[in-house]
Order: sequence, then structure tokens, then C-alpha cells
Amino acid sequence: MKKLLVFVFTVFVLSGFNADAQCNSETLSTQCIPKLASGFNFLKSYKIEKGGKEYVEYSYVFTKGTQYMINVCAPTQNAEGIIVTLYDSQRNKVASSKVNDQYISAIAYPCNTTGIYYIQYTFDDTTSACGGSALGFKR
Amino acid sequence: MKILLSGLFLALVLACSSGNKSEEQAFVEELDEMKLENDVISGEVSDILHRIPSPLEISVLLKTSGKKYNGAFLNSPDNLSRYNTNYKRAVNLGIYGTDLGYTNIYEQTQDGIKYMATIKDLANELNIGQFFEMETIARLVSNSDNLDSLLLITTQNFNSINHYLQTQNRSHLSVLFLTGGWLEALHITCEVAKANPGNMQLQETIGGQKIILENILHLLSFYRESDKNMAGLLVDLEALKQSFDKVTITTIYKPSTFEVIDGVMVVKDNSSSTIEITEADIENIRSVTQSIRTKIIS
Repeated sequence: MKKLLVFVFTVFVLSGFNADAQCNSETLSTQCIPKLASGFNFLKSYKIEKGGKEYVEYSYVFTKGTQYMINVCAPTQNAEGIIVTLYDSQRNKVASSKVNDQYISAIAYPCNTTGIYYIQYTFDDTTSACGGSALGFKR
Repeated sequence: MKILLSGLFLALVLACSSGNKSEEQAFVEELDEMKLENDVISGEVSDILHRIPSPLEISVLLKTSGKKYNGAFLNSPDNLSRYNTNYKRAVNLGIYGTDLGYTNIYEQTQDGIKYMATIKDLANELNIGQFFEMETIARLVSNSDNLDSLLLITTQNFNSINHYLQTQNRSHLSVLFLTGGWLEALHITCEVAKANPGNMQLQETIGGQKIILENILHLLSFYRESDKNMAGLLVDLEALKQSFDKVTITTIYKPSTFEVIDGVMVVKDNSSSTIEITEADIENIRSVTQSIRTKIIS
């Protein structure tokens, strides 16, 4: 019984520490919503937590004739260290937010091709492996 | 908390063990396998749920293309009392959610308030009423200057519901909710297309729903064995898929280009897609959609 209590206490304490150590991607993704450019309607917010993964990925069906905006928010300026890459349904790269070693924190994509798109977040280093993102649309 | 509970459960199993290692090991392995299987399915369900587009996109399309508001297309709030099972509640919550978005986009305040109240009642029945703060929403609805805030808050509420249901292992309700919302948006689009024959934009929008329907069918297929209502809905939507079978979507890929304007990467999509759909296809899709919807809202 003593061992059990010690175990439970340890798990409890460790999970508390983990929660503190985790990035607040929820808050960051919420902060990203008002940063969508004027005229864009909010659709989704995404949490970006590297964890043990090489990338974080979400998908969404984009519609021809609609313009989408994806932005990234992180504790670093211009979300440095986090790259958002958009792929089409055939996994062709449509856009990547790192250009000439510069990070762009928002991508506007006027869609010409209806289909599933993959929004992938990758990380240049371990220090910025936390962030949030928002997706919006306008006609 | 999940980790804590899992740890506690595992510790209890180990603490209570009688020393029979093979049985204990087999039991733990079985648990791991079950967890793995459930995690794989729920991960896939969650991925697909995320990609289903918001019905709001279609309402915005209709408004910006100059189509007039028509409340007769929508499911009457008076039908609420008919929905006395969780299946009916969840799928009609999606339908009313789309109707609310439509009334909001067209700034139809009075209708919007009725739909909001209906949604709140349904959500309460499904134990997810906590996501709707009626006072805030009523304040936003009453002033058209608050349209952006209203759209934002309702979208956030519905996103939160989906997230909550998934964390509560009630993803099936999320699937029903999204299916209902999508079906209602398709129904409204088909009705508007019927009133505007030859409108290419509407025809392409309807044709493009083929991709979303395929994803919804995949979602429902996970519940084919475990939920007879969802299995029935799957059969109905498979019939709808047959109406979409003649629709062809052709895509030609060309690398995109971009320029950076005011810190935003503005992409130029050089790819293109063509959606081939005939008036007869539209009528067929409209008719099957209407019959499925009637079954759901009755």
C-alpha cells in the first residue's frame, strides 16, 4: 500500500511538472485568431507542440474560389523556428513560410483547386518547438 | 489526469497480483492492444473531423454571390421536440448549427435568436450546453456591428464542442454533428442552385462536395458495427454517393509562386481544377439529399 501511495504521489507530481514544462499552445493558438488579416473569417485554431515528433500536421478541405490564411504564433519574433508548409492532396508543396532564411508568420492562399490540403508545421530548432496557429477564409 | 488514472489503474493491477506472471502479462498486453486499436481509430477519426470544412463557407459564398436569404430552406426550430434520442439530437444539432451560421451571415437577428435557443436546448440534452453563453451571444446577435464577434464566438463554441466530445470518447456525436451540418449546407446549396439554374459557381460548389462526402463515409464506416443509427445513415449517404459518382474532378498541378506583401506570403496558385457536373446530376443530388434530410429532421 505504501508503495502504491508513493507511486501515485510520484505520478501526480511528475504530471504536474510536465504540465508546467509544456508550452501553452492553446493560448498561443487563441492569440493567433485576431491576427488573421481583416476580412478573414476564423475557421480553426491549431496547437503546435513538437513533443517527440518531427512535425505536426493537420488537414482541411480547401475550396476553389476561396482565399485562406494560415498564421503562426510563437513566443519568438515572427514565429522564428517554426515553418508552416502547405501541401496539396497529391502532397505537392504549395507554399513554405521559410524563405531565404527568413520566417514569414502568415500565408495567404487564394485556392484554385478544390481538395484536401495538409498544413504541416516543422521546427528548425528545439527552442521554438511550441506555438499556435489559426486558419481563416474569405471569399 | 489521464496519466494519473492510467498509472493508478496499472499500479492497482500490479499491487493486487498473485504472482502469476503469465496471466498478468497477458492481461496487460491485451489492455495495451485494445488501447492501441482505440487510439489508432480515434486518431484517424480526429484527423478526418478536422478537415471537414465549416458550413459557414457555403453561407458566405451564397451571400457574397448575391443570393437572397430564404428562411424556408432551414429546419424549423419548432421541430425541436421531435428529437428525443442522442442520435437525432446530435445530427440535428449539426443541422441547426448550419442554419444558425446562415442566419448570422445574412444578419437575420430574429431567426438567429430562435436558432441559438434551439441549439442551446439540444446541447443541454447532450450535456454540452456549457459551451454556449446565451447572454453573450444574445448581446452579439442584437447588434449587427458585432457580426464578426458573433461568427467568431459561435465557430469557437462548435470547435470546442468537437474537441470536448473527442476527449470524452464521444467522437461518434462529433461525427453526427458534422455530418448533419454538412448535409444541411449541401441541402441549402442545392435549393439555391435549383432556383438559379445554370449557375456554374453553385454547380461547382455542389460537385466539390464529393470529396467531403467520401471523408464523411469513411468516418461513419468506423461505427458501422457498433451503432445501428450510424450504420443506417451510412447506407443513406452511400446512396447519395452514387449520385456523385458521375461528377468528375480533374486537377492539373503547376508549381505555385508567391510574393511577400506587408509580412504576409501571398501565394499564387498556378494549379487548377475542373469539376464536371450536369444539371441532371445536380437534380439527382438535390433529390437524394432532400430525402435523407427529411428522414433526419422528421
